[in-house]
Amino acid sequence: MSGSSRIRNIVDRFMGGRGEHSITVPVMDGALKPNNYLEQVAAVSSAEGADNLIRANGHTLLSSGNRVIELHGDGRTSVRNSYEAEITFLCTSPQAAIAVGLDGKGIAIAGGRHDGKRLPAKLSGQNLNCPTAAIFLDEDTLAVCNGSSTYLAPAWSRDLLSLGRSGSVLRLDLIQDKADLVRGGLGFPAGIAAAPGGKLVVAEAWKHRLLALAIDGGGIETVLPDLPAYPGRIISSQEGGYWLALFAVRSQLQEFVLRENRYRREMMANIDPEYWIAPALSSGRSFKEPLQAGSVIRLGIHKPWAPTRSYGLLLRLDDDFQPVWSAHSRADGNRHGITSCVETDGRLFVTSKGLGEVLAIDHLALTEPDDVVAQVGSAA
Amino acid sequence: MEAIERLYFRYFPEKLLGEVLTKRWSDNAVPVFATILTISFFLLQNPNFFTLSSLTETSRQLSEFSLIVVAMGIVLLAGGLDLSVGSVFALANITALICIHILGWPVWATVATTLAVGGLCGAVNGFLIGYLRIRAFLTTLVTLIIIRSIVDIILLRYAVEISAVFPESDLWFFIGDGLVFGIPFSFLVAIVVIALWHVILTRARAGWHINAVGGSRRSAYNAGLKVKFTVFTTYVWSSLLTALAGVFFAARLGSAGSDTGAGLEIAALTAAVLGGNSLGGGRGSVIKSVLGAIVVLILTDSMVRVGISGGISSMILGIVLLAVVAIDVRWLKNRHKLLNKVYVSPAYFRLSELPETGAGSGSPYAINDRLKDVSLIGQGEIEGPEDVIFDRNDNLYCPNRHGDIVRFLAPNYKQWEIFAHIGGHPLGMAFDAAENLNVCIGGMGLYQVSPDHTVRKLTDETNRTLLSVIDDSRLKLADDLDIAPDGRIFFSEATIRYDMHDWATDALESRGNGRLICFDPRDRSTKTILRNLQFPNGVCMAGDGQSFFFAETWGCRISRYWFDGPRKGACEVTIPNLPGYPDNINRASDSCFWVALVGMRSPALDLAMRMPSLRKRMAKRVARDQWLFPNINTGCVLKFRPNGEIVESYWDLGGKNHPMVTSMREHKGHLYLGGLYNDRIGRLRLPDADPNWTSQVAYWGANK
Repeated sequence: MSGSSRIRNIVDRFMGGRGEHSITVPVMDGALKPNNYLEQVAAVSSAEGADNLIRANGHTLLSSGNRVIELHGDGRTSVRNSYEAEITFLCTSPQAAIAVGLDGKGIAIAGGRHDGKRLPAKLSGQNLNCPTAAIFLDEDTLAVCNGSSTYLAPAWSRDLLSLGRSGSVLRLDLIQDKADLVRGGLGFPAGIAAAPGGKLVVAEAWKHRLLALAIDGGGIETVLPDLPAYPGRIISSQEGGYWLALFAVRSQLQEFVLRENRYRREMMANIDPEYWIAPALSSGRSFKEPLQAGSVIRLGIHKPWAPTRSYGLLLRLDDDFQPVWSAHSRADGNRHGITSCVETDGRLFVTSKGLGEVLAIDHLALTEPDDVVAQVGSAA
Repeated sequence: MEAIERLYFRYFPEKLLGEVLTKRWSDNAVPVFATILTISFFLLQNPNFFTLSSLTETSRQLSEFSLIVVAMGIVLLAGGLDLSVGSVFALANITALICIHILGWPVWATVATTLAVGGLCGAVNGFLIGYLRIRAFLTTLVTLIIIRSIVDIILLRYAVEISAVFPESDLWFFIGDGLVFGIPFSFLVAIVVIALWHVILTRARAGWHINAVGGSRRSAYNAGLKVKFTVFTTYVWSSLLTALAGVFFAARLGSAGSDTGAGLEIAALTAAVLGGNSLGGGRGSVIKSVLGAIVVLILTDSMVRVGISGGISSMILGIVLLAVVAIDVRWLKNRHKLLNKVYVSPAYFRLSELPETGAGSGSPYAINDRLKDVSLIGQGEIEGPEDVIFDRNDNLYCPNRHGDIVRFLAPNYKQWEIFAHIGGHPLGMAFDAAENLNVCIGGMGLYQVSPDHTVRKLTDETNRTLLSVIDDSRLKLADDLDIAPDGRIFFSEATIRYDMHDWATDALESRGNGRLICFDPRDRSTKTILRNLQFPNGVCMAGDGQSFFFAETWGCRISRYWFDGPRKGACEVTIPNLPGYPDNINRASDSCFWVALVGMRSPALDLAMRMPSLRKRMAKRVARDQWLFPNINTGCVLKFRPNGEIVESYWDLGGKNHPMVTSMREHKGHLYLGGLYNDRIGRLRLPDADPNWTSQVAYWGANK
């Protein structure tokens, strides 16, 4: 940090919070204009903790807890496999090898030429304790996001409140069992996709942005900054562009608490994580959860624009990773905590981890669907 | 760290600072400070400054100058500007001298003529500005020049004649140099005039009109004030006062110099604005003008004494004017922001460990589904039934946030009518022995509705606390009440620092802002009996005729107060550590008591209660809608014994049917639920309750 920017930083801090110290959150507008689309679409299946969807060899697979579940076309489900730890991601190679992230245990490979291989949570000096997302670069190479070197994946809100910057993007060589650091010091990388020109696009959740990295560890570039929510998994679409799942929404109170060190420390030390002032995948289950003034129910109505701990948001990005349209489940909805999506036979399956449901969106194109009803005033 | 914070927030008078800033007189702080500073500076510099003869001379100058500054202040207050005061002063001087020196008129005629001439100048200004709506700055600048020219023309002709004659009038001499008990006559007159104007501006209709026109011309017009006439009169008064000053000047010096009153407008304007009169109008007072006059006069006088030349002293005065105008503009613009930042003043409050509420935990608070089967009355037809009550004919009464008392007719409560329209937001209700419905009304006070629908105000004020900065005599948020057997009405006022719609902000403070008040119908007196309570809410007679229970919402406790008998005046906590925020308390049929928990505690907020500085920063930085808030989306009803033991609890887990409970009333084997933000009344059958029990009979007996 240069001298002048250091001084500006100090001034910003004492001038009531400007710049880096501002607690304002970008408004959802333009392509992010709120609607009720996620509440309108059909549910395909439900599974407790439904998390990561993939398409492998014509099958649709879903992670849920420590199990891999297959979703059949008629809505039936069957358990494909189960592991000793919670599954933190799934990803598949062109030849249908599947990589499975295991919480605190590293990565397991199923199928393909490395079938049965296990990579430990510590590999070549790099942490794989909190793998959050991965892609196959080729059949022998995996690019993995490790969210945090301190905490496990389910404790992501603790990492956020600890201002975690220990995440990394790794390149794993499956032949030599070797891990190379592509980029370290990231604030919970939670999604990864391949972009043209040999680049990786990574969702850095705690910094609310998408980064483009060169695979060989070269330059870094922010392709989409200032998101109003915490970005997670990214997949590319067959119809062009990408899908970005945002697992929780930012709020002014949250940004404020992130700057209150003593409060955060005492809160993490003395209060159950489910009652923290922290974003969540679902909310409203207990009266012990913190409530914000705008969320008070009046005359029996919970306002959709009320401040909320959990939210459902799926963002459609174009080829340049710029937002085109979005699907929402707002404060009065419950399809919150969108963690992944996958395209199958002209439909998009979306998981709401907060509710434990798999949703189906029929509109895949880059143009905004016609049946999005902007819900500005009504809660019905 | 926590200990430091606790001590700081207990002893540092931040709250006081915020309250002082809400006062209009806080504007005076800067000028008063400046006055003291100037006087003490020159006292140190030049001890001779305050000798008796010097003081006498200064006070004569001061009386003239302060009259002019007060004149300027009046015009500024109405949103105008009078630059012609210097010229009018000179014209008055020359007029008086001509009358008495050349024409030889008696003193009364001289004074009358001078004032008339002054009044005429003011009328011209007032007509042009008030009725023709020409800009005050331009108009008075032009009259400044024109009147100055007239003075110069007169001077050319009469200056020699004036100085050649010396008037033979003791009275004239007395006006100029006379002393009454050692005090200059002109000074006494000035004090009387200033006192009069203080009364006019603060107490009289004309003064309030001037304030109103200056504060907001359009609002004053919409309120039916004669704006043009009011503006007109301010200029007339300004010139009259200036002419009066001119008379004193003429009598004192008897000289007709061409520099009389030169630059006076700038000095007067500086003094007026320095004193704290706002250039934008609507803010100012006579006292401010006088303070400003003192400072400017001492400043100019001392500069003369120290030997600073005229040019430089004018320049200094100009710089002072520029500086105070800049401060005035910034202050007015930022005052409310500063107030916003310091008014909310959270207190340190540590609650005990949250009691267990888990289902199946065996705790009396364990959550259950007993409110699931509540049937609804008036769903979607009423808004905000904070309380419910029954008369002897089983009709149900509830308040409505539109300011009505709504009556649902027995037996099925399908039909309803507006029993009385009062205004405000009616909250707690209680019937007295004579079947009058007594109601606490947020924003209004304690009211009574008789069975024939007549609405009477019982009280809307109580005794003011000694040494309180904000006026706490008005009832801001009367909340719930109950009536002792002797007819005395005990009611709670939740907070004295916030209005009805701001009650949430009080939660952020969690300070003892509330109080309990007693209204005695026998002599119609109102008296505060307990202060510094954390949002006192429900009040319910304990049934012994000597004490009552009351709930402190943000304090999460229920206490008992003895108003009579051997323990009179004692207050003890009955239930100390509730899992939620208690609201209304009412009697149950089995000699227990019902209490509604309007919301539940959340650990994150309990922690924030121990960090007042965090809450203060939150109030400053976070938007209101985003504030951490008591969870009032979930509530429950508890039953407790007089000794404080919790008997049972009633919950509605989903909160879909009946989201909020602020009050409940048992009546003939059913429990009726009210909620401040609800659009319905809940009704729950109590299988084990006495099906004939009514609170009317329990309170006032069956024979009526």
